[in-house]
Amino acid sequence: MDMFLETTFEKFTFRVAVDCYYNPEGVWSRPEEELIRIGLSDFLQQRSGDVAFVETAQSGITLSVGDDVAIIETIKVNISLPSPIAGKVVEVNPSLGNAPENINQDPYGDGWIALIQPIDWEADRARLLNAQSYLALIQVKIEEER
Amino acid sequence: MKTKGTTEPRIVVIPCSGIGKSYGSVSREAGFVVTEDLRPDQTQLVALSLLVLGDQDSRTAVATQPCITLDGCKLACAEKMVQQSGGRIAKSFSVLDVFRRHRDHKPKGIAELNQGGLDLARAMADEIVAAIDELKSLPPFGSNELSSQVPPATDPQVNHA
Repeated sequence: MDMFLETTFEKFTFRVAVDCYYNPEGVWSRPEEELIRIGLSDFLQQRSGDVAFVETAQSGITLSVGDDVAIIETIKVNISLPSPIAGKVVEVNPSLGNAPENINQDPYGDGWIALIQPIDWEADRARLLNAQSYLALIQVKIEEER
Repeated sequence: MKTKGTTEPRIVVIPCSGIGKSYGSVSREAGFVVTEDLRPDQTQLVALSLLVLGDQDSRTAVATQPCITLDGCKLACAEKMVQQSGGRIAKSFSVLDVFRRHRDHKPKGIAELNQGGLDLARAMADEIVAAIDELKSLPPFGSNELSSQVPPATDPQVNHA
């Protein structure tokens, strides 16, 4: 069962999946056996707006931390998503070409971006934020923008 | 509301009123292109704000004639308000869906759309016209089948329209 932390600002409620780790830009990483699945946090997708197009890195390439794993065009902005981990892209979400709205509708589920074979997950995880820390970061960002 | 001296039922076009967003502006521009330029004798424009206010002529129009709603975002205010007003939606359009088919027409601007926005509105209008032509070719069009009881006006419940 999915578990989430939440914070609400005005009419918006932002969920943070507790089983994920986050980079400050809002890209989550979820360990799944030997692989790491990544995607956009609920906060990032809501702040970015309805997704119109998604271009992902190609399967088979190796990413360093911070390399673009996807470029997303929404009705508001174009954003480059920095990879939170280093590793080889073994699969990208095939549904995003025809249904990019999955990112908005189910950011921690059907809207995932890529599956990565990590080079050193323990080292990457040590640099990432857990759910509680990311929630605190979201709250700071909200306060700064008030 | 425009009428031009014909008794043939007109298709009612209802764009959203998403102020402050380019995509809402595209929906309204597309509505104008259809109702004023491409199919002026077959359509009429109904302002969403009048439906929200409970204007009886607007409610009657959407309840008795086929409706095409045009929405700029996923809130789908036009579609929801027409449904709430007892309207019969024949086709719903989303600007974002049209944009996904015309990526080169990136809309910008609100009070004044850029060329990309105008081009996107025209592309949307062309899709609406195709839907209108399809609707006009269907047997029920113009029959009493689409007539219905107009629900009484109630207090507006959709605040973000």
